[in-house]
Amino acid sequence: MTTKRTLSIKQRGLTNFEAVMWIFTRLSALAIYGLILVGLIGALIMGARNQMNFADVMRWAFMPNVTHVQSTDLQDLNPWASPFWKLTASALLLVAVAHGVHGLVVIADDYIAGAGARKFIRFLSIVMMISMSGIGLYLIWTS
Amino acid sequence: MEITIKIFRYDPEKDVRGHYETYVVEGDENDRVLDVLELVKGKSDGTLAFRRSCAHGVCGSDAMRINGRNHLACKTLVRDVGANITVEPVLGLKVKKDLIVDMDPFFDNYKKMLPYMINESPLPADGRERLQSPEDRARFDETTKCILCAACTTSCPSYWANGEYYGPAAIVTAHRFIFDSRDEAAGERLQILAETDGVARCHTAYNCTEACPREIKITKAIGEVKMAMITGKLD
Ligand code: SF4
Ligand code: FES
Repeated sequence: MTTKRTLSIKQRGLTNFEAVMWIFTRLSALAIYGLILVGLIGALIMGARNQMNFADVMRWAFMPNVTHVQSTDLQDLNPWASPFWKLTASALLLVAVAHGVHGLVVIADDYIAGAGARKFIRFLSIVMMISMSGIGLYLIWTS
Repeated sequence: MEITIKIFRYDPEKDVRGHYETYVVEGDENDRVLDVLELVKGKSDGTLAFRRSCAHGVCGSDAMRINGRNHLACKTLVRDVGANITVEPVLGLKVKKDLIVDMDPFFDNYKKMLPYMINESPLPADGRERLQSPEDRARFDETTKCILCAACTTSCPSYWANGEYYGPAAIVTAHRFIFDSRDEAAGERLQILAETDGVARCHTAYNCTEACPREIKITKAIGEVKMAMITGKLD
């Protein structure tokens, strides 16, 4: 008589914001790998194999912004500045900032024990997350 | 053989901070570190304080740091650690005297896990036991072996950094009930562990698994609790 037991999301506490963020941090790490792969493959398709060195390809993969490939031997920069890459870069930026800021909050918890101080750190982190994302988006969409 | 044992000493009535004292005793390589401590207490210095009870790895009283790693003194042979031994209290809990630490925070975390069977359903028709298949029993067998010695929790860097983390031992206890098909409060326990100081604080350092004198695969058990939290599946 092996029973099958399952619990709903609410029953197992996944409505807790911190728990959701914990899962988000795991999934966002995977998303970052995926987006980097997209950048890497895209660069190779667009001619990086002959016209760029390894360092520039990596720079592009980690942030597919056209300014990152301007100083290479590329003949035509247009495909590198397409909306597709702006969207990819935006996604990478948003996911990476949220992932990184949440990681910092978790580390800060190891050093800051007071409930009030922790709230303050969370507030600061949210401010930092929003402003960094904003500045990043501005740079991506105006370059 | 001659055994040199360096022991952390702290007397709250006299000392501002701890210090080490070295004792040389005549012992055997098959002696356990606990025997050596008894020799020191019996022959050299009766003020030495440490916990022990069963002396056979059952009660979980004598977890301590032996040559830098958490062990039960009663399960550690001199021949395995050498004739130069350093013994210190476990880390992360306040030292009360010598090798004795304040276990209250540890047991507080244990109690938070609701460490008892919760089942409000009516008893089976015959009014006797709630039956369980051998497979269902095997599901949580590993975590029933915990003796609450605290070797795992006090070896955990996340716990050292942040004493509010419930710690591996508490999660082992939660695991024992969460995966018990007769228990009905898995959800409540998972909700407690979904809090900031719950399973998210485990960064898979694996120190707990290495420290456990009962050889419980603690990191794996914590992983199973994490998966149950994510998928909602308790089998
Ligand atoms: S899980 Fe192992 S190390 Fe941790 S308290 Fe239980 S017996 Fe001790
Ligand atoms: S004295 Fe009981 S476990 Fe060591």
